Amino acid sequence: MSAIVLSSLSRSYGARRGIEDVDLEVPEGSLFGFLGPNGAGKTTTIRVMLGFLRPSRGSARLLGLDAWRETRRIKAEVGYLPGDLRLYPWLNGRDALRIFGAVRGRDLGPRGAELAEALDLDLGVKTRSMSRGMRQKLGIILALAHDPRLLILDEPTSGLDPLVQEQLRDRLRRLASSGRTVFFSSHALGEVESLCDRVAMVRAGRIVAAGTLEELRRRTGSEVTIRWREPGLASGLEPPPFLRIERRDGATWRGSLEGPVESFIAWLSGRPVADLTITRPDLEAVFRRYYEGERAGA
Amino acid sequence: MNRGLLQKAFRELWPATALFGIVIGLVEGVLAYVLPTFQEQLAAGWAQLRFAQTLIRAMVGTDTAGALGREMFFAIAWVHPVVVALTWAHAIVGATRVPAGEVDRGTMDVLLALPVSRWELFLSETAAWAGSGLAVLAFAWAGNLAGGLALPAGVRPDPSRVAIALVNLLFLYLAVGGIASLISCLSDRRGKAMAAVFVLVLASFLLNYLAQFWEPARRIRHLSLLTYHRPLLALRDGVWPILDLAVLGSLAAASWIAGGIVFARRDLSTV
Repeated sequence: MSAIVLSSLSRSYGARRGIEDVDLEVPEGSLFGFLGPNGAGKTTTIRVMLGFLRPSRGSARLLGLDAWRETRRIKAEVGYLPGDLRLYPWLNGRDALRIFGAVRGRDLGPRGAELAEALDLDLGVKTRSMSRGMRQKLGIILALAHDPRLLILDEPTSGLDPLVQEQLRDRLRRLASSGRTVFFSSHALGEVESLCDRVAMVRAGRIVAAGTLEELRRRTGSEVTIRWREPGLASGLEPPPFLRIERRDGATWRGSLEGPVESFIAWLSGRPVADLTITRPDLEAVFRRYYEGERAGA
Repeated sequence: MNRGLLQKAFRELWPATALFGIVIGLVEGVLAYVLPTFQEQLAAGWAQLRFAQTLIRAMVGTDTAGALGREMFFAIAWVHPVVVALTWAHAIVGATRVPAGEVDRGTMDVLLALPVSRWELFLSETAAWAGSGLAVLAFAWAGNLAGGLALPAGVRPDPSRVAIALVNLLFLYLAVGGIASLISCLSDRRGKAMAAVFVLVLASFLLNYLAQFWEPARRIRHLSLLTYHRPLLALRDGVWPILDLAVLGSLAAASWIAGGIVFARRDLSTV
């Protein structure tokens, strides 16, 4: 079963762009990264998923339930951390666990205390006196304390120090391996790469790529750098259709290989190559490729 | 209603409620003692001032027919601008917290992520501000009774009649709160919502005053909330102002339901 299914989901803000025809499926038990630059539509998508915003078109289903009509039932099983977390200034961690627990009808104290200890957060401090990182930790505790089936985290590691970030990543991995689904948006490509098994990239309100990291890498092609022996000769050469050159810098070409390596080697043979590098793209390269490709196509 | 949401609302409302309650209790106590005690001097002074009589008539909500009797001085304690301003201010502060206040301070996302329906949230928040309003008016009643106890036994107001005046004020509070709640549901900025309600109640106050001597205002006087707040009738005649309560109650209920419908259907998130 899929934890999240978005079908032709659109949401506009009058003349301002929101999201357009978003189709996405997040399998249960996966660690899903939702990538995109600022203003791409990540937060709008999350807000529609959580029933804060009504879709203009299409549908969003979480845990098999409609995101707008059955939002109450969904939220009983969802933990959410907003991107720009703001909490009541009079609230301290203990009050927050007590009040949120009363709303949810369960005692969040023991689990909250355990999480606070793991994240090294003093639950007695009022949020008005907390640093951004401390508030973020409290937000994470409140999102995790009721042991949700689905976690939706908007930029969860921002404001956290590297050690706590690593701790959080470990915890998220453990949650996913125990069958929980983690959906999180991020700018940090390295983080998504080390953590996620699946990703989707959103640009200008549309999904431009989605799948496992391996699928995206395969679709993107290997990164290729060719250094020719003679710069003059390089300018006279035309690349084959399966080699997309993104940068020509004197005698050096940089680009991506979108066909079989054998054909590429065959094309190179007999040509004056001084040096050749073929590497598998990392997520950053995949991301750059999709965004630059889109920009060029726009 | 949700217990956790009530706890949260109570935690947010009690400081303002305690402050407003203490102040309104003190004001009521002073007015309840001072006005009847200095009734003769005040009546003699006001008899010379036409505008003062007009203002008093506007405040107490009925024609005094030149008789500035004891009941009217008791009534003034319930319509004094300080008392009315405090009551309205508390209603506006309490009823604009959700959703405008939550959106404005950026906590709406956290609140909406909880497993409660929007109607449940709206109902819990309404119960909190209405309950806190009741607490403020209880302070006012206590202050009024305490002030009355300081008067000689024969001139104290009848507590059962004071209770009628108090219920009338409570319905006025609920009507202002209902309107404030509706405007809050239509807004993302609490400051703007509060200002809009303030303008409405101020217009209501002015209309009620102008209607005493200006025919065009008299014709639309029924639009003023204060038209339905007439404590003199209760204190002088001991009559329940059923029609006034019905109008204020209907207005409160209609604005509350309209607010709830808007709240349940609109897009909501931190801006």
